[in-house]
Amino acid sequence: MAKVSFLNKIYNAGPLILLYYLCISEVDTNLEKIFEIFTLNFQIILIYFWILKRPEIMANGHIFLAGLINDVVMGFPLGISSLSYLIIIFVGTYVRNKSVNTTIASDWFTFLVAMIFSNLLFFSLLNNFSDLSFAFSKIGYNMFFTIFTFPIFWLLFNIYQISLLGNRDV
Amino acid sequence: MSVSRDDFSIAFRSALLQRGASQKFSVLSLIFLALIIFFLDVYGTKFTSPVRGFLNDVIYRISYLSSTPTRYFPKATSNISSFLNVREENKRLKETIEKYKSLELNVEYLSNQNQDLQKILETEYFNKNLNNIVLAKVLVDKNSPFLKSIIINKGTSTGILKGMPVTLNNYLVGRIVETNYLSSRVLLLNDLNSRIPVTLGEGAQAILSGSGLDKPILEYLPDDYSIAKEINVFASGKDGIFSPGTPIGKTNINGEVDLFVDPNQLSFVTVNLISQQKGNL
Repeated sequence: MAKVSFLNKIYNAGPLILLYYLCISEVDTNLEKIFEIFTLNFQIILIYFWILKRPEIMANGHIFLAGLINDVVMGFPLGISSLSYLIIIFVGTYVRNKSVNTTIASDWFTFLVAMIFSNLLFFSLLNNFSDLSFAFSKIGYNMFFTIFTFPIFWLLFNIYQISLLGNRDV
Repeated sequence: MSVSRDDFSIAFRSALLQRGASQKFSVLSLIFLALIIFFLDVYGTKFTSPVRGFLNDVIYRISYLSSTPTRYFPKATSNISSFLNVREENKRLKETIEKYKSLELNVEYLSNQNQDLQKILETEYFNKNLNNIVLAKVLVDKNSPFLKSIIINKGTSTGILKGMPVTLNNYLVGRIVETNYLSSRVLLLNDLNSRIPVTLGEGAQAILSGSGLDKPILEYLPDDYSIAKEINVFASGKDGIFSPGTPIGKTNINGEVDLFVDPNQLSFVTVNLISQQKGNL
């Protein structure tokens, strides 16, 4: 019984561990070597899905901290990734409060809205308050592929949720 | 209508302020905290610099440790495959040795000629003074679609300062843009924010600008200049930072520069302290 409980704790912590690992390690979702323009923001997908489905396993404080770590590793001004992630949490929580039953299509659409707000804040703050410059085409590609790949990760996370955490709202 | 407005405001407030057993902090409080940290980091340099430096040093080390499995796994698989191909590799290496033996005679002549030419240019070859070179290991090489930079394991404790040139085998790699006590960030030549004054083999002056892709481009070339293939590109040293004549790469048919050092394959680099000592920065 204790073993099952321990395993459940590990499974529950899985998405959060993945988020921390993606933020702190060299592992990235910049796949330009495979296809020249293929980059995606996996952290945002991860946060949005779990905030919608299981907010109790993605604590706000942890996401905030992961954002700070991401800023240090990537060389961005401190707090900017946290802000971007918090906007995702805010939209996700709002959608969860307003909706009773969600589908992959509705989640996809609301994710688009969340990502637009989040990236708008992220890049406008960087543009106005730092010396870093960006290629807008790269931002566009990044957003496109993040939206494009969302349903794939939605399905994978859903399988994880159903098989390891127990189905709750599907 | 008013009910729907109420619903909206309730959901909106709840999303911002809601806390519970698993959520110890509300989104709104964390947004304010993130904004304060952001503006302190951007404007409050005196107060935040040491804190940020300490944070950077700690997190870079943790990042290096956490990336160890991903670094060693490809190495292990490549070791196995190279073991399987050892006969073919041996044959290829023998052929290569024969080729290099024939080229060896030319090397001495070329190196003498190179030294003479450097004397004429009144430049110092920084290899002569090894005290001014700091060898550093690449701690973190996170591939970002927006920023092309690496983190090295040497910082202000070894005399590294912002702006210093970073090289590998005497080829220019980038420059230091952020220093901490035990680590530094190097902006690579292909980053969108990188601008280096360069001289082309024929003497034309230009600016080498990072494009965000693997190959930087040449800007501000003379009006009537047409870029040809295979022209050597060197740092001109006009900024007083980079040693004049430091090789960077060769032009290709698209007008881009093929760097001598692949920015995605860096394990060790050297930081050249000589420019700073001259008081050029």
